[in-house]
Amino acid sequence: MTSLWRRHRWWLTPTLLILPGAVLFAVVILASSVQSLWISLHDWDGFGPMVWIGLGNYRELMDDPQFYVSLKNNVIWLVMFMLAPPIGLAIALLVNQKIKGMRLVKSMFFIPLVLASVAVGVVFTWVYTPEFGLLALIFRAFGANAPALLSDEHFVTFAIVVAALWSQIAFCMVLYLAGLNNLSEELIGAGRVDGARGWNMLRHIVLPQLTQVTFIAIAVTVVGALRSFDMISVMTRGGPFGSSSVLAYQMFEQSIFSYRFGYGAAIASVLFVIMAVFITWYLTRIIRAEERGA
Amino acid sequence: MTAASSPIFAKPRNRNERNAMKSLELHRIEKSYGAYHALRGIDLSVEEGEFIVMVGPSGCGKSTLLKTIAGLETISSGQILISGRDVTKEEPGDRGIAMVFQSYALYPHMTVAENMGFGLRMAKRPKEEIDAAVARAAKILRITDQLDKRPKQLSGGQRQRVAIGRAITRSPDVFLFDEPLSNLDAALRTQMRVELSSLHAELGATMIYVTHDQVEAMTMASRIVVLNRGAVEQVGSPLELYRNPGNLFVAGFLGAPRMNFFDVTVDEVSGAKAGISAPGLAPLNVSLAEGAALNPGDRATLGIRPENIRLAAGDAARAAISGKVRLVEHLGRETILYVDAGALQCVSSESGTGNITVQVGQVTPISAESPVSLSIDPHDAYLFAGDGQRTVTARKASHSNQTKVDTI
Repeated sequence: MTSLWRRHRWWLTPTLLILPGAVLFAVVILASSVQSLWISLHDWDGFGPMVWIGLGNYRELMDDPQFYVSLKNNVIWLVMFMLAPPIGLAIALLVNQKIKGMRLVKSMFFIPLVLASVAVGVVFTWVYTPEFGLLALIFRAFGANAPALLSDEHFVTFAIVVAALWSQIAFCMVLYLAGLNNLSEELIGAGRVDGARGWNMLRHIVLPQLTQVTFIAIAVTVVGALRSFDMISVMTRGGPFGSSSVLAYQMFEQSIFSYRFGYGAAIASVLFVIMAVFITWYLTRIIRAEERGA
Repeated sequence: MTAASSPIFAKPRNRNERNAMKSLELHRIEKSYGAYHALRGIDLSVEEGEFIVMVGPSGCGKSTLLKTIAGLETISSGQILISGRDVTKEEPGDRGIAMVFQSYALYPHMTVAENMGFGLRMAKRPKEEIDAAVARAAKILRITDQLDKRPKQLSGGQRQRVAIGRAITRSPDVFLFDEPLSNLDAALRTQMRVELSSLHAELGATMIYVTHDQVEAMTMASRIVVLNRGAVEQVGSPLELYRNPGNLFVAGFLGAPRMNFFDVTVDEVSGAKAGISAPGLAPLNVSLAEGAALNPGDRATLGIRPENIRLAAGDAARAAISGKVRLVEHLGRETILYVDAGALQCVSSESGTGNITVQVGQVTPISAESPVSLSIDPHDAYLFAGDGQRTVTARKASHSNQTKVDTI
């Protein structure tokens, strides 16, 4: 027994160690992805028998105007969310200064991370409330009337994204704060001796050391933008008239509220492809950049 | 060298006037972190072209001092002048210094050439000037064929050269080195030590070099600054410090193996001579320095370097010390003996056991556990006043009888 173990442990040990993770990944991610794809080829209400309709769901999706509204909103989310890494970096640089009272300021920037995103959604719904919300008070102070952001189909998505950005920026800030703590003091010193300061110091000495953090910040932000769902659910339920829906929310709505699991699965599959394409492109770019230098 | 002395920094300098000035002057530098005093009133004046090595044990403040000169650390009080200009409040980049860091601190995302030219680029020098300066430094350091590589692709020694090249490119008034060789292996360290010395001769620049390695200090320095607990213990040329250590600390710090120290009692003082004794040590007469102010009955510390203790063959009656060999280390060119002399215990000894360290010639037919008799020439003895703060024996002549000692 022992000799058998000894002879095979070079591959048994790593296999056993990786097994729990692999099983979990296979069941939760791989199996459910494949199953979703399978369901998307059927007409299914979630209870009764599944009826094979081939690419029927996808054909319907191509003609569904709501799909294009959701897709457009996802693009808005994606573009606006891209503000999170640079703003998070800027705030991190600010609160990283050794100034008295900065610890308090820093902890205030942490707050949105502590709150559940549902809570953030509720708070911002109140802020946007036309009559007595914070926004209305501010507008009134300037003698103007606040627009009803959440019931305006042109502004609603932007209003939700701003609320979501609040916590996304805090998240990026925390990532960058960790990165700033790991800066090489000697490299900074070398830069100072070389006369780099201000923008040059940031651009040539600090930012190159934050490449890894930036990579993670951008990847997490993109994924966060594409799978955005909870805020919409809390703040507008996709309304008014589906104008603030995104693919993830539309999928949820179709499956749960309209009992169209097949159609919902088709939307999920499209979202999956979009994410997979982005991640693959991004990863190859990063790997190539890393091979080139640093 | 004429090109190298072109003023990179836009400030016009009068060469003649500058020659009359010190390259670097430190006036009463103090640095404290809360209640902890890292630097206690350091004064130092460095001539142009000197190679100053700051040496001391860990935590003595040598790196902190270097960083304050560079401007990477602020000082609590005091004044720093570089080429006669008060730079105490200036940014590191404006001080006319360049620094080589322990970890090299090369910018990983830049090529070797970009690394070396970065300082000039920040100073907004024209591209041709940068390229010329980089090419010149690369030629001096023989890294011309590495210029397009990135630091990651270089060996430790090559990275070290790039870091030095980055300093040369800026043609600073003062070069600062922070333990630059400590990350290299022993063979490479010796090689770079020699190269740095010849680089200093070639550039004729003022260099301040921090190390904890006394071999580097002894071999490279034109003057050594011995630091301890944030204060300067002694400044002088390597041989001067070796022959005439000003106090117990310097005597113990320079020299390997370490000097042997013994607690002794002053029996009598007559004129310029003092008679001392200790249990297990035959009475010894040493010459005192002028104004030594030593009185009979005083406690003092006797110091003798391992190479100044000789084996007194067989003649136990004439021996100063007799004891038993505990350990023999054959180093080829020399042999180190650790001798247990019973009552005569060595304080803060090399081996930490109270054994006396003796360094003798190459072929010493002696083995562990054999009894030995040791003799001491009173001229080789150092006597330190009770508090260890000053040496009370007469200064040794600069040309010494060192050679005589080695020929046993």
